[in-house]
Order: sequence, then C-alpha cells, then structure tokens
Amino acid sequence: MWVWFSKLGSPKWFYELSGKWLPWLIAAMVIFMAIGLVWGLLFLPPDYQQGFTSRILIVHVAVAGTSLAFFPLMFVAGTITLVWRMKLADMVAKNAAILGAWFSFVTLATGSLWGSVMWGTWWEWTDSRLVSMLFQLFLLLGVISLRSALEDSDTAAKACALLSIVGCINVVIIKYSVEWWNTLHQVSSPVNMDASSPNGPEFWIATLIMIVAVYLFLSVSLILSTRNEILERERKAQWVQDLVLKS
Amino acid sequence: MKPHRRKKLGIILFIAAGLSVAVGFTAYALKQNINMFYTPTQVAEGEVGAGQHFRIGGMVKTGTVLGAPDSLKVNFVTTDFVSDVPIQYEGILPDLFREGQGIVAEGEMDAAGVFQASRVLAKHDENFMSPEVKAALDAAGASADNHMPAGTN
Repeated sequence: MWVWFSKLGSPKWFYELSGKWLPWLIAAMVIFMAIGLVWGLLFLPPDYQQGFTSRILIVHVAVAGTSLAFFPLMFVAGTITLVWRMKLADMVAKNAAILGAWFSFVTLATGSLWGSVMWGTWWEWTDSRLVSMLFQLFLLLGVISLRSALEDSDTAAKACALLSIVGCINVVIIKYSVEWWNTLHQVSSPVNMDASSPNGPEFWIATLIMIVAVYLFLSVSLILSTRNEILERERKAQWVQDLVLKS
Repeated sequence: MKPHRRKKLGIILFIAAGLSVAVGFTAYALKQNINMFYTPTQVAEGEVGAGQHFRIGGMVKTGTVLGAPDSLKVNFVTTDFVSDVPIQYEGILPDLFREGQGIVAEGEMDAAGVFQASRVLAKHDENFMSPEVKAALDAAGASADNHMPAGTN
C-alpha cells in the first residue's frame, strides 16, 4: 500500500498512467455530456408551474453539487502536501482551486438566472445558501491569490494547503444551510422512482446523468491541467526532456 | 508512518476538528440572525419588535388574494397553517405568485396589524412535476395544497 502510495506521488508515473486513462475519460465525458444536455435541455418535460425554466436546474444542480467536491479534494491534497511533502498533491491542489472557482461562478450564475425568473430576484444577501456559495468562490479566489502572492513555491504550497483545510468547513455550511436556517433557496429534491408523484424518475435520472457528466468533465480538466503543471515544474528532469525531444 | 508525519497529521486533524466545533457553535448562536424570514407564528408570538423592518415567509392562503381593479395594489393572507398574517403590497408580483404558493415578503407591520410589504418574492419548494403528473395527482384528489415551504416550521 505504501509502495503504491509513493509511486502515485511520482509525477512521471502519474503522467504516464493518466495518459492511458485520458482517452477513455474523454470518451465517457462526451457521451454523458451529450445525453445529459440534449435530454435535459431539449426533451425533459416542463415543470407544471415553472415551464421550461426548470431545465436550467439540470445544469445548476449538477454544477453546484460538483463544486462542493473541490474543498474536500483540496483538503486531502493539502494534508498530503503538509504531511508527506508529495509534489504531485500540490500540483493537483493548485489546479483544483482554479477549476473550483469556475464551478462556483457557474453555480452562482445559473442560480441567479433561475432565481430572477422564479423568485423575482437574482440575488438575496439574507439567504444563507446563496451567501455561503459566494463565500466558497471568495475562498477559492483567496487560495489562488495566496499562491501567486508568495514567491517561494514551497511556502506557497504549505500556506494554500492550510487555507484549503480550514476552508473545507464551508462545504458543510453550504450543504446544510437550507436545512439549518430558513432560506429562499429550496431544500434538495428527494430521489424518487415513482413516476406518478413529484420529482419522478425522468427529472432525477436526467440530473444524475448531468452530474456524472460534470464529474467526468472535472476529472478530465484536472488531469489535463495537472499534466501541464508536471511538464512545467519537472522541465529539468531527464524524462520530460526525452519526452519533448521525441515529439 | 514516521513519528514526525504522525505528529503533523495529528495537528491537521486537530485543527479541522476544532474548527468544526467552533463554526458549529457560532452557527448555533447566530441561528435567528441567519434565518432569512420570520414565520407568521413567530410574528404572532411577538418575536418581532414594533416598527422593525423584517421579512416574513409563509404560504399564500387559498381564497385570500384580492387585487384592486384599477391599480397594482393587492391584499392577501400568508399562513404557516398555525397563524395568519394579512399582507398589503403595491407592485409587480413574481410569475410564480399564486394561491397555495410559498412567498417571502419584506416590509413592516402597521398599526392595524397588516404587514405593509415593499417587496414580495416567490419561494419554490423542492418538488418538480410535469403537467401530466400534476393533472394525474389532481384527478386522484391529492392536490398540491399541502406543500409547505421548507423551513416554515
């Protein structure tokens, strides 16, 4: 187990292994994304009250749910950086912060779009779900700027790791904000297989396909950007120079 | 695992656990401040001070919406099925506003006990239905009237 663990930490090993995985992941992403978007945005039945506006939520729910994965991911990567000093973990964490900020932004944007039509407002400062999500965006922007503010990359890695570990608690607040406090934002819709009651199978299966598609998109983007990061940081290593000369 | 790594891991877990407890207590202490709105029952129990600007959240009681024919004035009653609060509002209502629907209104109580709203927002619950399912449910007699907005408890 420890051999495998330290092997995974080797950038070269990760670069080679991820190169084999990528085509499969990209293929799966394209398939799920195509099914999810075409079905969710073009064929899903409208909600009886919201009309076709409800289709925005297929994208919103998938992106919002996935955006909550970034801090736990950065928590794990940060812990590995601090405890085991694994370089690869920091490379993943760096790109996860940037991707996470985009995911949070898209969550807020699609939510506002839906809210402006259904609620009659695109933003409410008093809603704890909305504000805690905005806080996640700011935290991620904070992690990104902390890294660029510190010149020594080792210090930057440690500082970002610590901020990611501390910031992880916000995910719990986002998740349970709608249950702990009363908010304008609705609670999560329950999973339901019964076609004759609210939230029937077609709504949540379409959402599930989008969630899988967005998670695959996350994986592909993170692997691609981490591979770039490896090439940049290991540019003096022999295997990277061989790779460049070969291509 | 080497001792110095074990120690570092311990410190990280301690920070994470300590922070969770601290945030948990803070959130609990701020419970009422973080709530977006008061329920009609809380208003009836006098939890809101006189003259205070606040938000109230509940359902639009069926059969209480009265619109003026020559202006945008509208009167309705909001309820959490325990207490009722009458609301007066002048302005454009969100499309989702209708009887039996959850709303959040912002404003203050007047001397007559009517909530003078300066803003009315529609609240949607977690239920999504296609028109076919809605029609089938109505036909079966299970109308959507028992949909309580989340948090109205």
